[in-house]
Amino acid sequence: MSRARSIWLVARRELFERGRSRGFIFSVLFTTTIIIGSFVVPVLIFGDEGPTTVGVVEPAPEQLESAIETTAGLLDQEMAVVKFPDRAAGDTALSDDKVAALVIVPADLSSPGELVFKETADPTVQGVVSSAIAGLRVNAALEAQGVDPQTFVAAQAPPTVQALEPPEAGSDTRFLIANIGAVLILVGVFSFGFTVLTGVVEEKQSRVMEVVLSTVLPRDLLMGKVLGIGILGLVQLAVFVVAAFIAASLTRELELPATTPGAAVQLVVWFILGYTLYSTALGVLGALASRMEEASNASTPVTIVAMLSYFVAIFSVISDPTGLVAVVATFIPFSAPMVVPMRAALGAITPIEIVVSAAITIVAIWVLFVVGGRVYAGAALQTAGRVKLRDAWRSAGQ
Amino acid sequence: MLEVIDLAKRYGNVVALDGATFTARPGRIVGFLGPNGAGKTTTMRCIFGLATPDSGEVRWKGQPIDRRTRLRFGYMPEQRGLYPRMRVGEQLGYFGQQHGLSGKEAAAATRRWLERLGLADREKSKLEELSHGNQQRIQLATALTHDPELLVLDEPFSGLDPLGTATMTEVVREQAARGVGVVFSSHQLDLVEDVCEDVVIIARGRIVAAGPIDELKAASGRRHLDIEVAGADGEWIGRLPDVQVLEHSGNRMRLLVDDQVPLDELLTAARSAGELRQFSYEPPRLSELFMEAVAEPVAAPPAQPAAEPAEVVR
Repeated sequence: MSRARSIWLVARRELFERGRSRGFIFSVLFTTTIIIGSFVVPVLIFGDEGPTTVGVVEPAPEQLESAIETTAGLLDQEMAVVKFPDRAAGDTALSDDKVAALVIVPADLSSPGELVFKETADPTVQGVVSSAIAGLRVNAALEAQGVDPQTFVAAQAPPTVQALEPPEAGSDTRFLIANIGAVLILVGVFSFGFTVLTGVVEEKQSRVMEVVLSTVLPRDLLMGKVLGIGILGLVQLAVFVVAAFIAASLTRELELPATTPGAAVQLVVWFILGYTLYSTALGVLGALASRMEEASNASTPVTIVAMLSYFVAIFSVISDPTGLVAVVATFIPFSAPMVVPMRAALGAITPIEIVVSAAITIVAIWVLFVVGGRVYAGAALQTAGRVKLRDAWRSAGQ
Repeated sequence: MLEVIDLAKRYGNVVALDGATFTARPGRIVGFLGPNGAGKTTTMRCIFGLATPDSGEVRWKGQPIDRRTRLRFGYMPEQRGLYPRMRVGEQLGYFGQQHGLSGKEAAAATRRWLERLGLADREKSKLEELSHGNQQRIQLATALTHDPELLVLDEPFSGLDPLGTATMTEVVREQAARGVGVVFSSHQLDLVEDVCEDVVIIARGRIVAAGPIDELKAASGRRHLDIEVAGADGEWIGRLPDVQVLEHSGNRMRLLVDDQVPLDELLTAARSAGELRQFSYEPPRLSELFMEAVAEPVAAPPAQPAAEPAEVVR
């Protein structure tokens, strides 16, 4: 039987055993609910972002409706007008929350009229309606004086708006992707990497390790575990992302920004590289522990390196993406998965740097599998206390 | 044939194996005996590549053992353990496939073995839901689903009730009849005497006795003599030379003699002492051979060359 099949069998076991465990399904459902909820709940609480409806009691000035809508448009608001035959119908609609406010203005604009709210005045509605009525009344007064309405409209034209240092198009999106990337990779390392760690300790604790290792090579067992849990992690992430997109598009909150697709691809690639690197290291350290309580101690060095890399990425790299720290961190395997996608998202890395960095990281992963496989073999069957790295290496020696 | 050749292994200052050599032939059941810490588990781990010997090697059919060869072996380690939350059927299927069976073959073998061990209705149960004895049965089945050519069982009888012991014995015999080489370690020497044809006795990392039980018994210079003489107090026996009394209760006596003892003289002496009811002359039991073989040398034999460094052994 080929080693590839052996690795796949290990991966498939991890995938199925974990994937259908109640804990896993519950946590995926729970997180998905939270994600969907974070889009839907604000809409339910703050209402649909539809236009605010204002009631107008007839008889009213002809141009009032268009005046309110236009003024609202100028102030970046959306308002619709509903007409009522008399005041009583308007009041009923107002107390039933059918309209936000009721406007009563005489058709000849002889007075500013009334603006009625149900409880308290909404300053936005008040501002829009007041300006619309004032505009109409000024228009009427000037027309009565013989002024051409066109002159008046021209006089009301706003100034042109300019910025001295306009931000580059899509820079917000880039910044967002850079940060989301670093967080995702950190979360991936901590949740899925630690699943690998605890999985290894469980196999030692339940003493199944000896039976498994009598047929599977230690390195293959480690690889299969990392692969299986990694696939499960990617599936989980995919579910979350799809849920977020669906929820966002249903609530009309999503405007897919003009992202750089390259940055998104990099994010996925570096997520995989980062997860593989860190979870392999965690798996090896897990083999050194023989009980769950020791596992978190054993994993401390990796946790520290991951946190340091994350802080380098979010503090140093994001403020100076082409500086010395950023360049050095690009070529260190443990920081590359967080630094490279961030620099790529910020458009501050050359393709050659990316390729070299990826190559260094892949080599580092391979070295970890080889070195780790041997340490794993030396430590896996020592079930009393914590095994020293050096002893594990030696006892598996040829 | 499995050949263990001159295996040596140290853990720090502790010598686990010190030149262990023996063979196990197809179709034979070998009892692998030795006191705790003698090197049994380390030897078995060397066969499965779970421990790397400092020197020496293990061969199968004349070839060094690699991963592919090992897939045709079955192993039941002393430290029992399977995946506690994995279903029994899937567990057996998984290990069957890791031994090289296809998914279908593994499923068929799983059903066959679960039926054979009376656990067909537990296929969907999680392992941890099974009783201790049934978990042991599943552990045995993981070593068997792929029809191994060599079966290595570390203390397979420990913790089994009489029913479990009977099943285990039956399975081991069945496998040997199929031509499988079986090596198992045990401290239950009477059981070993009953089940095994061959034994290998290890002490302090060295093989101190090996071969068919009958031959070992025959080669031993010791014999037992059980005598029952009614109406005699046993004083007569004190008059005989070269006889050691092992037990004496009432009319019965158990004597240790060497195999050159003049039986006729003894018989005559016994008859003249009283009414002879029993007179049986037998080789020593396996447990006695074992005690003799593993006994620590009282003093270093004088023949030992002075140049050889004193070995620190436990």
